[in-house]
Formats: sequence, structure tokens, C-alpha cells
Amino acid sequence: MQQPVPERLQVSPFLVLYLIMSMQIGIGVLGYQRIIAKDAGYDAWISVLAAGLSIHIIIWMIYKICGTVEGDIVAANAYVFGKKIGNVISSVFIFYLLIFALAVLRTFIEVIQVWMFPEISTFWYSLVFLLLSVYIVFGGFRTVTGIAFFCIVLPSYLLLTFGFALKYAEYRNLLPIFDHSLKEFATSAYNMSLTYIGFEIPLFFYPFIKDAPKSQKWAHLGVFLTTIIYTVLAIITFTYFSEAQLAKSIWATLEMWKIVSMPFVERFEYIGIANWNLIILPNICIALWGGSMILKRAYKLRQKKGVILLALICLVAVSFFDTRAKINLLNDWTAKIGFAVTYVYIPILFIATLIAKKVKNKNEN
Amino acid sequence: MRQLFKKKLMQDIEKEAARQDTEGQKPEQYLNEHEWEKALLKSHDFKRTFYVNQKTEKKFCFSFISTLVDESILQNNALPYLLEGELTEIVDVKSLIPIADVQVSDHNEDIETKLFNGYVLLTLEGEEKYFAFIAAQKEVVRNVAQPEVEFSVIGPKESFVESLDHNLNMIRKRVPVKELIIENYTVGSLSKSGVAILYIDGITNKDNVNTVVQRVKDIEFDEITDSSYIVQLISDNQNSPFPQLLDTERPDRIAAILAEGKVAILVDGSPHALIGPTTLVEFFGSFEDYFLNYLLSSFFRLVRLFAVAFSILITPIYVAALSYHYELIPKDLLSTLITSRREIPLPPILEALFLELTIELLREAGARLPTKVGQTIGIVGGIVIGTASVEAGLTSNVLLIIVALAALASFTTPVYRMGNTIRLLRFPFLFFAELWGMLGIVVSFSFLLAHLLKLTSLGRPFLEPLYPPRITDFKDAIIRLPFTMQYNRPQYLRTENPVRFSEKKAKQKKDIDE
Repeated sequence: MQQPVPERLQVSPFLVLYLIMSMQIGIGVLGYQRIIAKDAGYDAWISVLAAGLSIHIIIWMIYKICGTVEGDIVAANAYVFGKKIGNVISSVFIFYLLIFALAVLRTFIEVIQVWMFPEISTFWYSLVFLLLSVYIVFGGFRTVTGIAFFCIVLPSYLLLTFGFALKYAEYRNLLPIFDHSLKEFATSAYNMSLTYIGFEIPLFFYPFIKDAPKSQKWAHLGVFLTTIIYTVLAIITFTYFSEAQLAKSIWATLEMWKIVSMPFVERFEYIGIANWNLIILPNICIALWGGSMILKRAYKLRQKKGVILLALICLVAVSFFDTRAKINLLNDWTAKIGFAVTYVYIPILFIATLIAKKVKNKNEN
Repeated sequence: MRQLFKKKLMQDIEKEAARQDTEGQKPEQYLNEHEWEKALLKSHDFKRTFYVNQKTEKKFCFSFISTLVDESILQNNALPYLLEGELTEIVDVKSLIPIADVQVSDHNEDIETKLFNGYVLLTLEGEEKYFAFIAAQKEVVRNVAQPEVEFSVIGPKESFVESLDHNLNMIRKRVPVKELIIENYTVGSLSKSGVAILYIDGITNKDNVNTVVQRVKDIEFDEITDSSYIVQLISDNQNSPFPQLLDTERPDRIAAILAEGKVAILVDGSPHALIGPTTLVEFFGSFEDYFLNYLLSSFFRLVRLFAVAFSILITPIYVAALSYHYELIPKDLLSTLITSRREIPLPPILEALFLELTIELLREAGARLPTKVGQTIGIVGGIVIGTASVEAGLTSNVLLIIVALAALASFTTPVYRMGNTIRLLRFPFLFFAELWGMLGIVVSFSFLLAHLLKLTSLGRPFLEPLYPPRITDFKDAIIRLPFTMQYNRPQYLRTENPVRFSEKKAKQKKDIDE
């Protein structure tokens, strides 16, 4: 149980839909097709669907945890493990959010460097981007939510542009279905981690939602929509590329834009990548907001200072990842930590909360 | 009560008479002691005239500031009665003069304010404590003219003038209900400007009214010359280029927004009234939209929004595309662009800045010069400089078209203040476009978006109904739905009575051939 957040700082329940979608869709979607096709081949879209469905269980657990403790992750950890150990565990989440922001930012800059401006300075671009994010986080959670909302709504037209690839679709690529073993499907689903993570954020902003329990259906809807987008995009990609060609495409999503041509625009990927700036903006903002919120709740650090601190760490750290291999490593680790947090830690916390609740109830009786 | 008052007065007069007997006749003696008078005597328009009543032979004196007083009122409606009537004591003034606003008072501290509000101070010989104020204000008001900034072809043709009373009169006539409340405050240590805050009791949210009242009361400034001062002093974010209160010169618009549940602020001496809380989309809705059919007005609103986006983005996109992303442009279009740019020695950004600055110069020159000269300058500058710079090979004719169109588009904004903001916004976009191409445009757009998200107008979100997204408020935002569907007041105003009229009556459905 934590201090309730005043209503003027809260947001409507349905905005959780946008928050979750904007956090999930980031850089993973630019090139997940190759990674999942490595194991399950062109059956991998089934893994995408299955992984997406399994998230709903985790969402359900998150809302159970937050509902039981009536608070965020810091409150939940303190509830289960006591204040001191709880705070230490919460600090791990700061690290997680930080590395998440770092991976998103660095990978996006890499995309820019490969596709648009080979010479663009990682430092200066990160500086401007982080300044923008800090400016947004200074506006509070409502502003962050607003950014999440617009950054889903405004670039949503990009979905239509993938329709251009359908002209060249070869549907027989998908056949035969169920041609792989269960283990291959599971590995493929596991490889979706980087693309799917981000849905755990209700753990951080739960107290900032008006009628928070009501927002659960919106969270489910958000995850469902993301799953549909990913699945459809995977199917379009698989019909567009041959399997051998896909194995060489690091950013399959971007490559599909090469086929887009309109009377006034050719080489659509320039517009697409520039627009992707909007899509990763909420990723960084929510991560910085969440991290600084935990710092505030666990260590009583003023959130203004916390945001600047985290942004500075990001800015310094981003310069260290200067080669493809290092960036790949960063992404791999982000995916692993993300998987550990969402599929290992949250179920553990869920069970622990249930036990703690029973024990506390018994003590009261 | 009156009897008592008279009795007391009589005593005072007797005392005074006794004192005067001993001290001898000094007609000015009873006024000389006051500080305010010493300062006033330095001004040449402060006048004092002495008269003797013909019946009682009592002396009385008018003190007034001649530039503020309509002397014909004194001549015709006050002086004859005071000279010929039976004036024995100060309270008689009330019954003698046919002027409604005559006050008898003993508050010395009121004298200064009253004199500067155009009252005439009447003092009577032998009357030390009490004196009378006679209202004789001179009103110099220009005629009610057609609205110039917010001109509309259809609809009412009256606009505000510089007199607060006249402006309030125009509003009262349109909202003749007792619920229309007009609160008055005085602001400015030197200007003493009257500020009227208008709202409709039972509709307008009290929080909004209180916010306005509080902020107006808190204003610390010496000379308030116009409502634009008030806008800048009470805005939520004073460092934002965006206006956060809507200003209008149309009384009909004020009447309409009062009915919606907003608050209006009128300032004495200013022909522009302020409206709050407001939203971004409201700045792109002309009031004429309500005089046209909803299909037409919705279309025009969309055109205007497109114009704004076009005006801000088109030159930066040109710079970005030609500096970095020429691959974006299809082959056929590219060849046109290349032909037009073949002879140009400048990079796209300098070319664009050159033309943008030319347009800005033309605009500034046109705005500062008298109307007729301004028009000439516009034509000479626009056509001659434009053609000449293309022929001289300084700019490409494609860019000339683009910049001219962008300038034209920025004029479609119905609110002048917002038009100025849009003029400014283009330059950071240009800068970022030169820096990072398309990416830069999106980055500066993100800054703009973040800034707009943070803005509030009287504490209400500025981007509503876009964010927080409220579907019902879209009925009068980017598009305007028919009046029959406007049965509820806008949600974000949190009005005390959200229903404008009964929804059921408005929606009477008919079958075929009935």
C-alpha cells in the first residue's frame, strides 16, 4: 500500500493501451523476422502468435500483484521481501530500464548510420534525443502518456505502407505449416523477447492510472493488437522474402519499404526511418520516467535529479557501443534480461505475493 | 434615518458658522488642507469654480478635472438648478439636480479616485465634513466599426471599441439574462485599468473563474495599455510562443463562448476581449464557421489545418530533400527540380533562408506602413523581387513558389496571434532540416509536440480533444458537426451544466412520406 497519487496527475484507464503498445513497439520490430526464422523457419509466425498469447498470462499476474499491494513494483517488492531487500530488488529494475533505453537508442542510431547518415555522431544525436526525453519527462506522467499516445497514432499510417509488399507476395512460401518441432517453435518464441518486452510497464505506473483495475482490459487489448501487428508483419515478410534471402536481411522490415513508390515519393525508407524516431521516443521516455520513479520511491531521490542522472548515464554509456558486434551483444543481453524479468521474475513475485498475503491474513486473524 | 442625518448636519453647519464668525470670511479655507489638492493644482486642467446660490446666498464650489468632465452636463443639468433652487445644505443637492448619480460622502480618500473617474466635487460653504460627487463623465468613444481582424462576410458586423462600458453593453444585449455575471477589478498601479471578468453563473466552472480572478488580482504592473498585456501576464506558460488565451474583437463570439461555459476577460481601453480556457484547435476555427453550413465549415477547417502543416513543413522538407535525400524524389520530378536549380550558386538552406527572410521583410514592412503604401510595397516587393531573384539566379523558381505558398498558407490562420507563432516556428524546423534532414524535421516536430502537450490554458490541457483524447469534443474541433449534435457543452470545460439543449427534441426522425 502506497500513498495514493492525486487525481490531477493520473491518466484515464484506456490510455494504458497506448502506453503498452508504444513501449512494446520499438527497434525489435525492425528486424525480428530473421531471428525467429532461424529456428522455426517460415512457421515462425505461429511462434509469434503463441508468444503474444502467453503474454496475457503475465499481464494478468501483473494486475494481480499490483492490485494486491495497491501500488507499484517498489511497493510489491517491499510487501513481499520487506523494505530493505525489496528496495535492492527494485534497483535491478532501474538497471533493466536503463539498459532497455540504451539498447533502443543505440540500435536506432545504428539504423540511422546504416540507412541514412553513415557519418552522424552517436554522441550529438543521443544528446539531442535525451534532452528531448528529459524535457518530456519533466512534464510528468501525463505528458509521457501523451507522447505515447501520439507516437502510436501519428506513425500508424506506416502500417499501410507494408501493403505495397503484398503485390509481390508468394503465399506458398508459408507452406507446409507445422513443419517444425515443438522445441524449434519454443526457441523461436523465446527469440521474440526483444521485440515483445515492454508490456511489463504497468508495474511501474499502476498507481498513476485512474481506476487502475479497470485498465486491465486495455492492457490486454494493447498486447493483443501488438501481437496481431507482429504476426501479420511476419506473414507479409515471409511471403515477400525467400527463406535464403531473409537469412541475410538484418532489417527485413526496412527492406520491405524499398518497394514502396508513390507518384511524389520514392525510397520510402527515408521517411519511414525518420518517422521511427517518433516510435522509439516513448520507449526512452517511459524507461527514464520509470527508472527515476523507482529511484524516488526507493531512495528518496528527487525525480528531476533522477531523470537527469539516468539520462547522463545513458549518454555516457551509448558511446561505448561502437561496433555492430557490441550493439548485437547489447541487444542480446537486453532480450535476456527482459525475458528473465518478465517470464521468470514476475511469476515468482506473483506466487510470493500470494503467499505473503496469506501469511499476513493469518497473522491478522 | 434621514432625519437623524439632517439633524447631525445642521449641528455641523451651526458649529462651522460659529467658527467662521470668529475667523472671518475665507472662501477657500475649507478646502486648502488636503494633500491631493496641492498635487492637482499643478495640472492646468484641474478647475475650481465658485458660485453663489441666489436664494440662500450660500457659496458653493465645483472642483473637477476639465478634460475628464463633460462641461455641458454641468452647464445644463447642474448649475441652473443649484443657482436657482433652495440650497441650504449639502443633501439638498440630491433633490435639486436631475442627475441620477449624485453621492453625498465624507470619505476624503475617495476624492482623488472620483475626480479621476470624471466626477465633479461639490463643496458648500459652511459644510466642512460632507461634500457631494456629481457624475459628469465625458465619454470619447470611437464609433462601433466592422471587425477588421476577424472579418466575416456573413454574420454580425459590429466589433468592440476602447470603452469597457460600450463593450459590456454589446455583450449584455446578446445575453440578456441575470446569470451573466460581470466582476470588475482594477489593475495597474498607474493605469488603474478596469478589468471585467464575465461568465454565466450555473454554467461556467467556478474553478476556471477563480483561476482567472486570482491571476488578475495578482498582476503586478504599472501601465496596462491593452488586453495583450493581460494575456502575457496571466498565461500559464509565459515562455511559450503559443498564445494560451484566445482574443477576439467580436461581441457575438464572446456571447457564444459564454454560452459554452468559458470565461471572458475585457479590459478598459482595449478593443480585444480574451477567452479562456481555450485549446489549440480553437485557434484554427474562424467564427464564420458557425455561420456556414457544417459541411462547408468542416471542409474549411480541414483546409486551414492542412495549410498550417504545409506552411510549417514545406520549406524544411525542400531543404531536407535537396540537401540529403534527393533519392526520395521520383525521377521525373527530380529532373524538374534539377533544371530549376542548375544555375543556383547557393546551397538549399541559404536559398530558402534568403527567400523566407524576404517574405518576412515584406510582411513586416507591409504591417508597419500605412495601408496604401503597404499594398504597393507588397506588390512591388513580391513580384519584382521574386522575379528578379529568380532571373538573377539567386533562387530557384520552384522554391519561390513553395515559399510564397507557405506564406499564403500561414495567412489562413483566423487568429492573428497564432499566425505570428507559425511564422516563427518555421525557422527551428529549417535549422534542424539542414542539420539532420528528414530526421531533423521529426526531431523538431517531437519538441513541438512535447511542448504542446505540456501547455495548459487556465490549467486545462491545451491539446484537448486530441490529447487527452475525448471523442465527444471532436464535434466542434477539427470538424464542426451540425448544431443539432452540439447538445452538450465541451467536456474539458467541466461545466456546471453540461447540457446545452435537450437532445431528444433536436433529434426528430421522420420516415419517408410522413
